[in-house]
Amino acid sequence: MPDFADASTDKLASIFAPRSVAVVGATRVPGTVPFDIFSNILKDDFQGTIYPVSPSAKSIAGVKAYKYVLDIPDPVDLAVIVFPSSVVKLALEQCGQKGIKSLVIISAGFREVGGAGVQREDEILQIARKYGMSFIGPNCLGVINTDPAVHLNASFARRMPAEGAIGFLSQSGALCTAVLDYAHAKNIGFSKFVSFGNKADISDIDLMLSLKDDPATRVILMYLEELTQGAAFVDAARRIIHEAGKPVLVLKSGRTTQGASAAASHTGSLAASDEIVDAALRQAGVIRCQTIEEMFNNAIALTYQPLPRGRRVAIITNAGGPGVLTTDAAVHERLELAQFSDATRDLFKRSLPVTANIKNPVDVIGDARADRYRVAMSAALEDNNVDGALVILTPQSMTDIETIAEEVCNVASAHSKPTYTSFMGETDVASGIAILQRRNIPHYILPESMCRAFARAHDFSVEQARRLTPAPTYTDVDTAAARAVLDGAVDLARGYLSPSDAMKVLEAYRLPVLRTGVARSPRDASAIAAQVGFPVAMKVESEDVVHKFDVGAVLLGIDSPASATAAYETIVANVRRHQPEARIDGVFIQQMAGPGEEVILGVKRDPAFGPVVMFGLGGIFVEIFKDVAFRIAPIPVEHVRAMMQEVKAFPMLTGARGRPHRDIAALEECLLRLSQLALDCPQIQELDINPLIVRDQGSGCAVADARILTASPQRSM
Amino acid sequence: MERSEIAQRVTKVVARVLAIDPAEVLPASNFVFDLGADSMKSIELIAGFEEEFSIEMDEDRAREVQTVDGAVDFIAQLVQ
Repeated sequence: MPDFADASTDKLASIFAPRSVAVVGATRVPGTVPFDIFSNILKDDFQGTIYPVSPSAKSIAGVKAYKYVLDIPDPVDLAVIVFPSSVVKLALEQCGQKGIKSLVIISAGFREVGGAGVQREDEILQIARKYGMSFIGPNCLGVINTDPAVHLNASFARRMPAEGAIGFLSQSGALCTAVLDYAHAKNIGFSKFVSFGNKADISDIDLMLSLKDDPATRVILMYLEELTQGAAFVDAARRIIHEAGKPVLVLKSGRTTQGASAAASHTGSLAASDEIVDAALRQAGVIRCQTIEEMFNNAIALTYQPLPRGRRVAIITNAGGPGVLTTDAAVHERLELAQFSDATRDLFKRSLPVTANIKNPVDVIGDARADRYRVAMSAALEDNNVDGALVILTPQSMTDIETIAEEVCNVASAHSKPTYTSFMGETDVASGIAILQRRNIPHYILPESMCRAFARAHDFSVEQARRLTPAPTYTDVDTAAARAVLDGAVDLARGYLSPSDAMKVLEAYRLPVLRTGVARSPRDASAIAAQVGFPVAMKVESEDVVHKFDVGAVLLGIDSPASATAAYETIVANVRRHQPEARIDGVFIQQMAGPGEEVILGVKRDPAFGPVVMFGLGGIFVEIFKDVAFRIAPIPVEHVRAMMQEVKAFPMLTGARGRPHRDIAALEECLLRLSQLALDCPQIQELDINPLIVRDQGSGCAVADARILTASPQRSM
Repeated sequence: MERSEIAQRVTKVVARVLAIDPAEVLPASNFVFDLGADSMKSIELIAGFEEEFSIEMDEDRAREVQTVDGAVDFIAQLVQ
């Protein structure tokens, strides 16, 4: 795995803040990418020196051009390559000879077109390595740094964004231009703005880590189409959130094909790639957004306002209906309506009309002017029972929208608690919204978006302060024994382990496997059943019979030696009748688990994230309801608890409707041991423990059945 | 046709189409990187060669030719 820790600041410094830039491949034709990039750097007031490099032009836009980059007499910090892909490698060779260490390769026609493009990308990477150069791209829109000391717009975006505290990183260049337009309309500024394209050299992870240490960036936004280095991404995001206290918001589109390989186990089929991404981002503390609008709704809250210290909101409105709508939205987002103190209520009584509702939501009545908003907001924000204010305005005939907007901004900026606003409507409220946006008070068209943004900001506040307990490392495990069994299966290309081998692997990690044995004859069956202890379950030992219940090859509750003999004969006869071609190696006998709740635990090895652990409730319905939760191994202890609680049916284990309280501590240990097993044994491709019986509190768990699919040798990681 | 004659006539076409001094057109010159041919000029170059040598060039294959020398080799195959 590349060392991202080294990657970040140094190699990106001269990309973000060069003293001199060469545009290599510039032309004199307006409306073309090579011209527009040169022109943008020039007209957007780059504070350094710019050199156009053009084989055919003596000058571009009045600036002397050089035929080759080698002809430039001065040192060059950054080269922006805009040549067609066929000659980019020639340009890179010269940049290397010139001693340029940083490049942005705008040109398309590389890996994204397949075939020869893949080869071209490999070639430019080799040249960059040869000269110790780093580059963003190829196939990207470019890089923007709004820092007034630099002011670099090395992109072909239509406009330079305003200076701000949001760092935006995007895999799609086209999306960047749309985002810039959207942000311009809402007066949202950026610190850095990067389209990273094919990320052949500098990756999304390098870029996000560079923003971790960038004092101009307070919030990091990313648009991603794939997460090829998932585990490293999760690690980087956690570092940014916890070490730098900066929120990371991700808009992730598309479904990776990595996880789409044929999956045979329950866990395999349930762990679609996007669900793994979702779980991984949650585990990292990343705020995942579904739309650009949601991303910016959250971003402006996190960027412009203090983080909420709690979930108690005061809703201040000049209309009843919108107040109720906001209340519904707040409750939906698990926010609480603050209970005002007596002092606040008294102040409301004295200052607001008798018809005003002085409970939460506070209705300052339709004819409210700025003074009522000022009184209500100030009192609410000064109340210790309030963590933030949600201010609603609807435009009545007497509503002085602009004055109220100014007053809302004044009161908000005088307090250390967050204020979010929703001036509902469009035309009449536009001037008020413009004031709010200009003064960096988050505004939302819909109260629902406002409440969601408040909840996400509070989630981040909690996440940032949270210190996770690393997964314990159990020292009583026998890794060698587990690996020996798994290696045997890999060598023989067996795929699935036999039930007894699967149990051996789990037993080596001290998972609570029931006593077992394999009978080779009816007489064996009675003796082995007596050894493991009645009652027992019996099932055919055969690699050929996958769905054992369906062919009558499983019998339960056998409670005597004579019954065990008879069961052996019945199972063998049933298999011979339904699957005459199946090879029968005997009958597997297992002590029965006793009463308890059935859960499923699983592992799937994901190409990007490594071992992913699954938890769900209820054996046979698991695939119908998909009521399961995932985490990437190793799982911090808090996330083991969180993943259990994410499952909707979890209260069935914790005493819901008079059911017994089950042994959650033992279940938690099983998940942690399974996570360690998956990390220690890369031979495991997929694993199901289905069911794991969770007995009553203090009585532990029991593995009733398990399947392990091993990776074929070439797939082994 | 002698290779030297082809080279001389190729140089003439390149200089005319790209509006540059024939002295700048060297055998190893890359049409894009050294001589500044954009995609439009590349099409004009192919048309110029076809007219000069009374030949028909496969456009896809012709576009793969990157240098003056490469163009001379390519045209030499067609005029024989």
